[in-house]
Amino acid sequence: MGMSSAFAADGDLNANLAPVALNGVEGSGTAMVKVQGTMITVTMAASGLLADSPLAAHIHFGAEARNECPIAADDLSADGTLNTTEGGPAYGPIVVSLTKTGDTSPASGLAVERFDTAPGGNLSYERGSIQVSEEEAQAIADGKSAVVIHGVDHNDSGAYDGDVMSDLDPALPAEATDPALCGVLSAAPVGSMATGAGGAASTGTDSGVLLAGTGLLLAAAGTGAFAARRASSKA
Amino acid sequence: MQRVGRRGIFAAAAAVLALGGGLTLAAGLGSNDDGPPQPNQGPTAVPDIDPAPDSVAAPVAPAPGQAPAAEVTDLGPLLAASAPVAIDIPSIEVHSTGLVPLSVGADGVLPAPADYQAPGWYTGGPTPGQLGPAIIAGHVDGPAGPAIFYRLGELVAGDEVAVTRQDGTVARFTIDSVRSYAKAEFPTSLVYGNTTNRAELRLITCGGAFDRATGHYVDNIIAFGHLIA
Ligand SMILES: [Cu+2]
Repeated sequence: MGMSSAFAADGDLNANLAPVALNGVEGSGTAMVKVQGTMITVTMAASGLLADSPLAAHIHFGAEARNECPIAADDLSADGTLNTTEGGPAYGPIVVSLTKTGDTSPASGLAVERFDTAPGGNLSYERGSIQVSEEEAQAIADGKSAVVIHGVDHNDSGAYDGDVMSDLDPALPAEATDPALCGVLSAAPVGSMATGAGGAASTGTDSGVLLAGTGLLLAAAGTGAFAARRASSKA
Repeated sequence: MQRVGRRGIFAAAAAVLALGGGLTLAAGLGSNDDGPPQPNQGPTAVPDIDPAPDSVAAPVAPAPGQAPAAEVTDLGPLLAASAPVAIDIPSIEVHSTGLVPLSVGADGVLPAPADYQAPGWYTGGPTPGQLGPAIIAGHVDGPAGPAIFYRLGELVAGDEVAVTRQDGTVARFTIDSVRSYAKAEFPTSLVYGNTTNRAELRLITCGGAFDRATGHYVDNIIAFGHLIA
């Protein structure tokens, strides 16, 4: 935990990327984010995507959003697919564009020449030192953001095409921007695990060292009696 | 009347110690004077936290009209998502087909499986074989004696762990290091964070001394591994 500054949104997060409802992608992946103040590092791998086409990927967050991945009921147009706008109530607007180079702001949301092209349908991505605002860093650290990879192939043509144009850019087919995989960035577990009950513990270690540390003299007396009785009952 | 007498003694001890009733089951069962195996970690041993630096793969010819990709990120071998259904660790004779799902509580802590003989896997993280640290935890012991991960501390670098997944594939991991950490200084980021940019495995159990005042071991033993195929 960061303690050196007033603002310290630190943490490790993971998103299990799963197919977006209705969009027909059979893929999966994970995205990991490390938050250090207002700096984030993103590492991501996914498979089962449209091969050799630029896949726009973003971190989405909206204070008014549900902070989750969209469901079939978000298809307000009832056309049987979910476009990026229809996903908005679930995941909110873009806050970080996961470009490989250059600007990472929402302005680069459709900078197709700077996104991974998923050779063989496998996307791999790593980038550090991405600057975000304090509000965004806090939202990400609090587990309220989602990673979305865009780019689908509704008609199985092997490329972005079709008659329906994108809700984000009328020059692009909808296939180029419809969400493919999505996962909420959830905070990693914190702290230790209680994976023992003592039934096979050394009988020699319930010593004064531990108990002195706790300062519980009453417990120490009790433990001593317990150990002695236990030893005699085994005999 | 030894049986009744023991119950009375343990009831009294439990009251003093404010421990749960489970402790009474420990009487005379499965105890081991030496306790569970502990990892043999030298003072200079450090976890291998960045063994797979990014490398730039051979450039791929760009499609016409497309700018070439800046670089290809190499994350090592990876598998698609699929839940683990079995774990085999031959060197310590762990063979389990009873993995149970684990998720964090409101306190953010990952609870141990309820069943002492069942390993649990963290569903909020990568499945074994995906990018990132897949977490499988098991008890070192239960009230009655050794549990599924009793011998985890015996693992050494190079040991193999095979995790069979629901899709029928087997994720094969090799152990890189086995370390014991005081629970009070648990390295959260090292264990649960993405420290290596590859598919990794974390096997977690308890270790160190058993503090009978708290009813818990003072350490966690963690085996770190990475996917080899
Ligand atoms: Cu997006």
